[in-house]
Amino acid sequence: MAKQYDVLFRLLLLGDSGVGKTCLLCRFTDNEFHPSHISTIGVDFKMKTLVIDGIKVRIQIWDTAGQERYQTITKQYYRRAQGIFLVYDITSERSFQHIMKWASDVDEYAPDKVQKILVGNKSDEVDKRQVATEQGIKLAKAYGMDFFETSAFTNHNITETFTRLAEQVLAANKKDLDLLRMSINDELNLAALEEEEGLCDGAAGDQRKGCWC
Amino acid sequence: MFCRIFIYTHRRMAITADDVSLEDIVPISLDFAVVEVSSPEELVVVGADTRVRISFKDQELELRLPFGSHSRVFLGEVNKAWSDVCRSPTQAPTFEWISKYHKGTRGQGVVKQAIAPLGTTLTKLSQHRKTEKSSDKKGTLEKEKGSNSGTQKSRGFSSQESREERDDLVRSSSHTPSNKAQILAMPQFGLRDNLIRCELLKNEDLYTYLEHFSFFLGTYNVNGQTPKESLRPWLGCTLNPPDIYCVGFQELDLSKEAFFFNDTPKEQEWTKAVFEALHPEAKYAFVKLVRLVGIMLIFYVKKEHAEFISDVETETVGTGIMGRMGNKGAVAIRFRFHNSDICVVNSHLAAHIEEYERRNQDYKDICSRLQFRQNDPTQPPLTIMKHNVILWIGDLNYRITDLDVDKVKELISKKDFETLHSYDQLKKQIDEEAVFEGFEEGEIDFQPTYKYDTGSDKWDTSEKCRVPAWCDRILWRGKNIDQKHYQSHMALKTSDHKPVSSLLVIGIKRVNGDAYKKTFEEIVRNIDKMENECIPSVTLSKREFHFEDVKFMQHQAETLSLFNDGQVPCQFEFIQKPNEPTYCKPWLTANPSKGFIAQGGSADIELEVFVNRSTAPELNSGTQQIEDILVLHLERGKDYFISVTGNYLPSCYGTSLHSLCQLREPIQDMPQETLRELAEMSGTENAANTEKPLDIPKELWMMVDHLFRNAIKQEDIFQQPGLRSEFAEIRDCLDTGMPDSLPGSNHSVAEALLLFLDALPEPVVPYSFYQQCLECCSNASQCEKIVSMLPQCHKNVFNYLAAFLRELLKNSASNRLDVSILVTIFASLLLRSSTKQDLAEKRKTQEFFQHFLTQGSS
Repeated sequence: MAKQYDVLFRLLLLGDSGVGKTCLLCRFTDNEFHPSHISTIGVDFKMKTLVIDGIKVRIQIWDTAGQERYQTITKQYYRRAQGIFLVYDITSERSFQHIMKWASDVDEYAPDKVQKILVGNKSDEVDKRQVATEQGIKLAKAYGMDFFETSAFTNHNITETFTRLAEQVLAANKKDLDLLRMSINDELNLAALEEEEGLCDGAAGDQRKGCWC
Repeated sequence: MFCRIFIYTHRRMAITADDVSLEDIVPISLDFAVVEVSSPEELVVVGADTRVRISFKDQELELRLPFGSHSRVFLGEVNKAWSDVCRSPTQAPTFEWISKYHKGTRGQGVVKQAIAPLGTTLTKLSQHRKTEKSSDKKGTLEKEKGSNSGTQKSRGFSSQESREERDDLVRSSSHTPSNKAQILAMPQFGLRDNLIRCELLKNEDLYTYLEHFSFFLGTYNVNGQTPKESLRPWLGCTLNPPDIYCVGFQELDLSKEAFFFNDTPKEQEWTKAVFEALHPEAKYAFVKLVRLVGIMLIFYVKKEHAEFISDVETETVGTGIMGRMGNKGAVAIRFRFHNSDICVVNSHLAAHIEEYERRNQDYKDICSRLQFRQNDPTQPPLTIMKHNVILWIGDLNYRITDLDVDKVKELISKKDFETLHSYDQLKKQIDEEAVFEGFEEGEIDFQPTYKYDTGSDKWDTSEKCRVPAWCDRILWRGKNIDQKHYQSHMALKTSDHKPVSSLLVIGIKRVNGDAYKKTFEEIVRNIDKMENECIPSVTLSKREFHFEDVKFMQHQAETLSLFNDGQVPCQFEFIQKPNEPTYCKPWLTANPSKGFIAQGGSADIELEVFVNRSTAPELNSGTQQIEDILVLHLERGKDYFISVTGNYLPSCYGTSLHSLCQLREPIQDMPQETLRELAEMSGTENAANTEKPLDIPKELWMMVDHLFRNAIKQEDIFQQPGLRSEFAEIRDCLDTGMPDSLPGSNHSVAEALLLFLDALPEPVVPYSFYQQCLECCSNASQCEKIVSMLPQCHKNVFNYLAAFLRELLKNSASNRLDVSILVTIFASLLLRSSTKQDLAEKRKTQEFFQHFLTQGSS
């Protein structure tokens, strides 16, 4: 039996304020749903352990403030993510249109090999739907992403969505992981690895105190 | 660091330190070697002694080490010490100091036979083993190893057991993927995994199910005999082949050699006999053998089950002479079979009919002293009682009392074993809970197994004519155990005992993969939840702070209260945003900006706004706003954003002379737009503004005029500080035009003037002229020439101020001012360096300005 490894990586929830990012996170990690909307002002995170292909994967899921005024700050968190959820609300055409802006920010600020997934939340609110499933599918296809419609309220597709992105991140980093497996026996911290790479890039993190986490 | 092996000898059994004497010291140096002496013709049996040869320079020692972990540890240390020496070959100690310990009698090249001590004695001496600082000058470390030997010339010693595990078929299968608990037991996972392991153990019932396996247990006191007949009637008596065999012997060898050196040829003979007598319809794998003098236990498993056996360990405990020797005692094997931990003990307890309390004591000693090492060194040793299933066999030596021999024999002939059993010491002792607590024994439906005339079924006819007894017993402790048979085997006549066997069907815990996965996930989910609850967290009294009417040099503060509502103490800190040099804008501070809050505690942070001369210009012009977002970071936790907003009231303080000259109205009556446009044009002479600019800023005029009219004779003017509150009034008056005349004392107005000059974004002598001024500071006309080249409004202000100061000097008798005082004060305000000014530069600026105060012209 080969030794087991812990892998740790970061996933980031992005999208307009009110699309349900915090609810998705609560449903996934605590299996809870709080219908009242309290804006996330800041960056929150929770841990979750998944077992994928026999590898114990610990994911740190970051929930960001969606409000526009905070976006210059939240963008700075993209750099540390290995996977990103782009979330819109199927009852809000506007939040769907903003996905393009979110996606272009991700292209600009997130690492090149970051994995993305498109999520249309609130799928239970059929009566108020403004964005057709086909539109979501089409957009995801254009970006080359996977797409899920979810409902944090009914717990529809939640685990599937998170697991899929985690699998994608794992697959995208498979080569590095295999290399590491041969060299170290300790817990693998993919997130830390990424940071090291960042430092090698040079000026990027020179005067930063390294407390952006 | 050098290591040595200390060799001790003793004449009699070593009990106290006086019994041993130092015989030799072998340094572990480069020419030290330890090799295992292999003997290919011999069958290698697990549990047998290991022979090794130690060589050092011209000496050679051949040693035999008793089987067991103590030897293993010792040899491990030797190996380690030797490889340390190899790693640092530069040091070549000569060990001359050893010679004084050498006895002169030793010849060269003599191969000394060293015979291993009895296992028990070694055990005891091993406890004396210690590492200590030697007293020699090098301050080296010595490894001291106590060891003993028998009488003659032989020297007791311990040596290396080969590192490779010997044909220990089962050990290699101990890490099969099917063994989930094993995977989890890997130590590198740390605390989190310990938690998971603990929870898994607690919830074992949820993911395991019972599967039944048959265990054949046999015990036979062979009275020192060699096998003379097939053991098949005993070991092959079951209809179907058992899954597991645990076969125990006592009195395997009664010779002195066996006793003193734990060495006997009988081990192999009986092992062979057992192997040949196992059930013929199945193939068995040898797993383990353990022996202490005459007490031996052999463990076989059906081949197909071998991969599910793991964590096999053996231990021995002597309870014989001195309470330690191996003539009595126990050997034990522990192992894990699927998910159940099983311990098999074979014991030979104290003899003699009246010694039942001694037997009880032996049992207790065995239970407390027999401890298995665990794979994970951080775990405490396992005792017998920690196992799910305990199978205890052996010659327990309990007798039948209170009946005379004839009565016993009569009951036996009537097969009234029930009545006879009521006189059995073991039964009585168990009933009194004096021994074997929690153990069970099946009904005895066979005649006593002791004592017969060897080679017959006749009761002891010797002169002692012992009372028959059920010495040989099989007991168990644990759940889901069902006895299928419990019998003796009269057909075997080799010994004065008859062998006993029992077939137990035991429910073994097997892992249900799906249920295991579910349980595992549930546990992980709970631990995740726990972990998430332990992420530091605080609540904030306010997330948005608004500062109304912020003014130049007017301090404002608001309190942000943090309450630690998390389950752990937390450390907070405002962290800087990327591309910004500090955690907040320069006009803002958070005090304290970092700190620690105990669980349930709170902390107050003052958010303070203060606009000074360096932040004022951009706020005046509107290129900056009172607007910032602070990031409050909790270590290992989340980040909170705190927004700070406010409105700033523009001021003449921090506004350029150029802009002020364009403003005919008070600055606060001007639209923001105008101020920004003015700031943008600043420096470009004669902008689009059609209106003729003022000669000098009206604010400057107001202050100077006020002083000229009211303070020309004021004692200590410009030397005595003003009042802060009056400054605020003066500032507001200048910025709003209300009231008509300046409030406050002369000193306050004087200070307001100085502050005004100080706050100018571009000094009266602009930065671009500064260097020139320094260069020609000694030449008055050159200095005047420079001033004439200044931008119009700057030139006006300069001349205006110089004229005013000269007026003041005319009244020096009253105001006590002189040139040097004014030069010192004003030179540094009018001529500022954009970089740090040194003392020499400062003197030059004063020299420059002095020309304008001493000359007569304007």
